[in-house]
Amino acid sequence: MPATDPNIVISDVSKRFERRGQTFTALEHVDMQVAQGEFVSIVGPSGCGKSTLLYMLGGFVAPSGGQLSAGGKPVTGPGIDRGVVFQEYALFPWLSVADNIGYALVRKGLPRAEQAAIVARYVDLMGLRGFETAYPRELSGGMKQRVALARTFAYDPGILLLDEPFGALDAQTREIMQDELLRLWRSNRKTVVMVTHDVDEAVYLSNRVCVMSHRPGRIVEEFPIDLDHSASREDVVVSATYRDQRNAVWLAVRRQVTRASGGAAA
Amino acid sequence: MSRLGSLAGRIGSGLAPIALLLAAWQALSWAGAIDSTTLPAPAATLAALARLLEGRGFFVDLGITVLRGLGGLALGAAVGIPLGLLMAVDRRAEGFFNPLVKATYSLPKTALVPLFILWFGIGSVTNVLAVALSTVLPIIIYTYHGVQSAPKILIWSARAMGTTERRLLWDVLLPAAQHGILTGLRIGLGFAFLIAIAAEMIAAQLGIGKLLFMYGETGAYDFMFAAVTAIVLAAYAADRALVAVSDHLLRWQEPAHGRTGS
Amino acid sequence: MRVLLSLAKLYPLLLVAIAWELAARAGLVRPIFLPPVSTVIAALPALFWSGDILAPLGTSLYRAALGLAVAMIVGIGLGFLMARVRWIKWLLDPLVSLAFPSPKVAFLPIFVLWFGIDHLSKIALVAITCVFPFIIAAEAGARTVSRTQLWAAETMGTSRSGLVFRIILPGSLPSLMSGVRIAVPFALVSAFTAEMIAGGGGLGGDLIYAQRFFETTTVFALLLVMLVTGYLADALVLGLRRRVLRWHEG
Ligand SMILES: Nc1ncnc2c1ncn2[C@@H]1O[C@H](COP(=O)(O)OP(=O)(O)O)[C@@H](O)[C@H]1O
Ligand SMILES: [Mg+2]
Repeated sequence: MPATDPNIVISDVSKRFERRGQTFTALEHVDMQVAQGEFVSIVGPSGCGKSTLLYMLGGFVAPSGGQLSAGGKPVTGPGIDRGVVFQEYALFPWLSVADNIGYALVRKGLPRAEQAAIVARYVDLMGLRGFETAYPRELSGGMKQRVALARTFAYDPGILLLDEPFGALDAQTREIMQDELLRLWRSNRKTVVMVTHDVDEAVYLSNRVCVMSHRPGRIVEEFPIDLDHSASREDVVVSATYRDQRNAVWLAVRRQVTRASGGAAA
Repeated sequence: MSRLGSLAGRIGSGLAPIALLLAAWQALSWAGAIDSTTLPAPAATLAALARLLEGRGFFVDLGITVLRGLGGLALGAAVGIPLGLLMAVDRRAEGFFNPLVKATYSLPKTALVPLFILWFGIGSVTNVLAVALSTVLPIIIYTYHGVQSAPKILIWSARAMGTTERRLLWDVLLPAAQHGILTGLRIGLGFAFLIAIAAEMIAAQLGIGKLLFMYGETGAYDFMFAAVTAIVLAAYAADRALVAVSDHLLRWQEPAHGRTGS
Repeated sequence: MRVLLSLAKLYPLLLVAIAWELAARAGLVRPIFLPPVSTVIAALPALFWSGDILAPLGTSLYRAALGLAVAMIVGIGLGFLMARVRWIKWLLDPLVSLAFPSPKVAFLPIFVLWFGIDHLSKIALVAITCVFPFIIAAEAGARTVSRTQLWAAETMGTSRSGLVFRIILPGSLPSLMSGVRIAVPFALVSAFTAEMIAGGGGLGGDLIYAQRFFETTTVFALLLVMLVTGYLADALVLGLRRRVLRWHEG
């Protein structure tokens, strides 16, 4: 797969939180590199620090130790080069669907006609036709998530940071959106870091899957994925390669989950 | 349209019990069970209200009181909303104003009226300033908490999409604080008429508060009751109008989030 | 150390006091309009020992407390009834929503007509001002008690009055305490205001008296006493709420 210079570098990153006077270590010794145009997924048990890692890449949360860089520059804060899709959608509830999707385009200062054209394209692409003037509260969870994806794709950041972007979708829509993401990624080769707890999703979409451990969170295993993404979904899913790689990742996650629940019981 | 319709429906269904109570009261008056000199019957009060509404004088007094109340509220909002915003985004401003707000919050606000009379004399300046000072504190506090309650994740996502700190105020903090600001305004509106009327009752040449006292002293009790009725209705109308504006401004909000209406 | 730090945070109050003192001392304003803050504070002990603070404070607190008690009993009763009895809700709901935003002080001339200018008219104004927060808090609180909780209590042999006092009342306490927090400052302000308008002593009456005779130092001293009273009352309510609601929210 792509072997250009790394676009994202995470070296020896750790994150500690203060909780009722005690410090507890959420992440420790996290090392990871993502090449330009690579699609990497991070899977792991819930609460292991996946969102926190993504927030640090987004520049919202500072690491307690270690360095992160994106596009060759150290991460010091949020930047328009890194688009983030949050687990909780983070739509602006006071803006309509169209205004949410167009928000960053206004900030970029694009001409109005161009803004409208891009918004219209993503409204169509995400199947939101007819809801342009609706407020987020009038949408189902799945539709909100589509607006959140559209809002980030619309302004075309070089790096996509996705936090469980399909978590709220029903199984059918989920597959459609996954294929849509895959199509987008194949056409423009963004660098993508996606957090998910769905092993099938991670394996189906990524070039590489990183498995995280629980407490402290760190990357314990990595699986290069080698699927022919130009094939149809059916062909991929029934292929032996997919099945083997999926099983390998599933077992690795399983080990972490049992370790985590065993640790919690102790 | 449907909102207007439902409002009309609500008022209509609320009118029936009030009419029932008034009818019972009127019947008791006729039966002589209530002394109608100190508690005028609804019919007498309505007749007096009709007479009041015929002349211009009553509207002048009512208008003056309403203008003082709303003027004071506007002044309070003009100071309170920016100050609340500033306190929410600037730590030093918060450190400076927070103790002052806390220290003055528990002062019973009408108590400032005598002091203001001393400073500014009897009249609209005293009245408007007393209203402004009473309304500014809840507006500051609710604005401040409104901004503070802006979800962190919205601020993050705005920043990720290239929002500068200055735009953040307009794009995220202010909209997120809308609910708080409007709640503060509604509480302020409640104070506004109270303080305006109380100040007029303490000392004034004009205004509905003054008028009420005059009717009381001259024994024109049916007019006194009529004037009280007019005040109650005016305050209710002002409150409903503010709620309608709030509901419109907050139409994006989840209904479960508790719109201001009740 | 902690105490010192939290005291240091109060520096704006000190700044205001210094500005006030300087403005008065420099003769920027005449002392009849703004006496120096030091003069006001120096006047407090004399006023205190002569009884010129305690006696009117007692009068005002008596009126506020009695009115508050009436409002509490009537308001909680009506609120519970509105939550449980359909026709009472139907009858009172429009009345409550009409009266809630009204400036209650407008009723004072009526109360003076009915009850004279002594204690009773003031107590009535306090009661009518405070009754609405209690009605609303009690109704909202009683609605949080679920039907299944009531059924459970009934199957365990609770009588009808027992349901009110052992289930509905404790279940509504969080909401009622919020009502108390709103009502207590209302009670103070309406007692003071009634005294300022209708006379009859109390801190409000004395304040107006001092203002008429341009005893500005006394005006400020009384304002200070009112402020501290309001502050302590709120602190008391907060303390009470913490004690009463220990079971609430873990
Ligand atoms: N701001 C914070 N303060 C304290 N603890 C936090 C904070 N953010 C996250 N955590 C804790 O860090 C751990 C990792 O959280 P998170 O990154 O959300 O996990 P994931 O996304 O993998 O489910 C959790 O135990 C969480 O409770
Ligand atoms: Mg997460």
